[in-house]
Amino acid sequence: MAAETLTENSILHNLASEVEQTGHKVLSAIRNESMLALNKNTFPTRKDEAWRFTDLRAITRNDFVLPANAGIKAVTNPSDYFLPEAKNSRLVFINGKFDAALSSVAELSAGVTVGNLSDHLDHPSVSANLNKLQNYDDDVFVPFNSLFFTDGAFIHLKKNAEEKAPIHILNLYTDSDNAFIAVPRVLAVIEEGARATIVEDHIGVGNNLYMTIPVSEFKLHESAHIHHARTIRDNINAVHMSRPIAYLAKNAEYHSYTITLGAKLSRNEPRVIQEAEEVDFTLDGLVLIDGEQIADTHSLMDHRFSFAKSHQLHKVVVNGAAHSIFNGKIFVRRDAQKIDSFQENRNLLLSRDGLVNTKPQLEIFADDVLCSHGATIGQLDPEEVFYLQSRGMTEEKAKEVLTYAYALETIENIEVESVHKLLIEEVKRYTKANSKAKIKA
Amino acid sequence: MLEIKNLHVSVEGEDTPILKGVNLKVNKGEIHAIMGPNGSGKSTLSKVVAGHPEYEITGGDILFNGESILELDPDERAHMGIFLAFQYPVEVPGVTNMTLLRESYNTIAASRGRDEMDPLEFEDYIREKIDMVEMNPEFLERSVNTGFSGGEKKRNEIFQMAVLQPQLSFLDETDSGLDIDALRVVSDGINKLHNENNCIVLVTHYQRLLNYIKPDFVHVMMGGKIVKSGDSTLALKLEENGYEWLEAYASTNGEEK
Repeated sequence: MAAETLTENSILHNLASEVEQTGHKVLSAIRNESMLALNKNTFPTRKDEAWRFTDLRAITRNDFVLPANAGIKAVTNPSDYFLPEAKNSRLVFINGKFDAALSSVAELSAGVTVGNLSDHLDHPSVSANLNKLQNYDDDVFVPFNSLFFTDGAFIHLKKNAEEKAPIHILNLYTDSDNAFIAVPRVLAVIEEGARATIVEDHIGVGNNLYMTIPVSEFKLHESAHIHHARTIRDNINAVHMSRPIAYLAKNAEYHSYTITLGAKLSRNEPRVIQEAEEVDFTLDGLVLIDGEQIADTHSLMDHRFSFAKSHQLHKVVVNGAAHSIFNGKIFVRRDAQKIDSFQENRNLLLSRDGLVNTKPQLEIFADDVLCSHGATIGQLDPEEVFYLQSRGMTEEKAKEVLTYAYALETIENIEVESVHKLLIEEVKRYTKANSKAKIKA
Repeated sequence: MLEIKNLHVSVEGEDTPILKGVNLKVNKGEIHAIMGPNGSGKSTLSKVVAGHPEYEITGGDILFNGESILELDPDERAHMGIFLAFQYPVEVPGVTNMTLLRESYNTIAASRGRDEMDPLEFEDYIREKIDMVEMNPEFLERSVNTGFSGGEKKRNEIFQMAVLQPQLSFLDETDSGLDIDALRVVSDGINKLHNENNCIVLVTHYQRLLNYIKPDFVHVMMGGKIVKSGDSTLALKLEENGYEWLEAYASTNGEEK
């Protein structure tokens, strides 16, 4: 007799009952619809096509609580993570909760609003867009975030406003007695012709287990221009499940660069949705992982109208027993002609135990498009190592130099100088740690 | 300085021998040219001397200043003063020529008991050398060989040789891919770098390079061994008659070409 399959409630479903009432109608409507969405959707398993390569035991084998019950420790030296370029354009969130004392917003250009979402719930751009842009059907993580977030980053640029200083969204995750779940949130509405650079950091300052579920919604109106640098520097025991989505109106440009160095398990699902003709966007990624880390990127570039230019270079270095997963969906809808789309996933495998799964996925329903795509998995070229050795470098040094050179390409596009420098140092640290581990083995 | 004794070499993990008993002696102050048809083993010989890990030495020995270097890694050989100018120089994006050269120069200097140079001293030193190969100083700040034309890559190899001042240089097909002007510049550079304390081995398919650099000895490699040695007139004879007339020599020892 066939037994009925019982779906056990996930930790996300269990925690849902702890949600508190909110006095604000915008949030309360979002919570109501999110509760329904969460209860409708099931926690993913390896049987789901989109999750078949991803080992979720870092979530399922652990217990999580809300931050309020986690015995949160104070953050030490938060200023270590401040950016000199953003001294007056910084929002700090500790475990997803806005910290007004550490944040600093002053002297912004005319027409620029940067603040805590919960202070701006009555802003027309908030009611028009918040939780309306997210587009992740069947997902449990987005509704969980939507059910619980109160704070978040709100960025609004009026028509033709231009913010010169980078807007820094600094997410710090602190040490705690119990594993907790944080729900950082971003809403950015960029009106016609406005421009800004946004740096979004996720940094774990302890070694504790936590799960962060960042959800970002970006709305770019006509000719708006956003440069978005994201770093995933969660600690090595953490879980990071992020869902950033951007909508692009005519002539809008959105360039996003995600650097993944941390987290035991990360699942990044960036999406870009074209809403009119003639847009230009980038969804680049650099992943440097080691040990038992799992870094999974499932992206979607949805070309719905003609004349789009899109670029996705996803570079990965895998060492130890780490595991990289890439699934890059490119949709070109019927009638979306003259699309120029580039996608490449390059993987550098430094160890025997490392694992790479890669799947470019192009679904093209228009006939006049240029879509190039490719995926490579390789090791360091022995000829290159020999060349540098013949110039006097040790094998260790040669491999370090070549790995560094490989990783550098993505970082070079990051416009904020201090972030660019910091990432170069991070890459150096990674390649050094790496070659030392190899010598020991 | 260099003594190669009855050297037998195969590709690592394969049985096919490439070098089948090479003997060669190069003394201080000498220039040698190794010529031969494609596939004769001359490029392999240069890589083996530099320590390429792809090759397995199945017999014989390589002595540098009287000591066997077979057990040494490529970087240790570089530290001793062995240099290989590559037939196909490798592109290294993200590392500038300047960085590579300073790193190389200082490691080699340190292991040979010379003083290391700080970045300013090094910059002065390097400017002299770059003039020698008539290379645009902009190339110093560019990533190693990245986007260089074939000729620029070859120039860059000789420039590196000038900076590192090796005792023994193997120049593998340095003339290929050079137009006539570049060939003259590169050859002038090599001639200036040559002195009574170092030695140079030119590995080349054509005689053309030898119009500019006069070797003391010319060797012909065929079928994995040196089948004939002579003075520079041998190169002219090869230019006229090709390699075919030497096939008899290649097979006299009972081995096919």
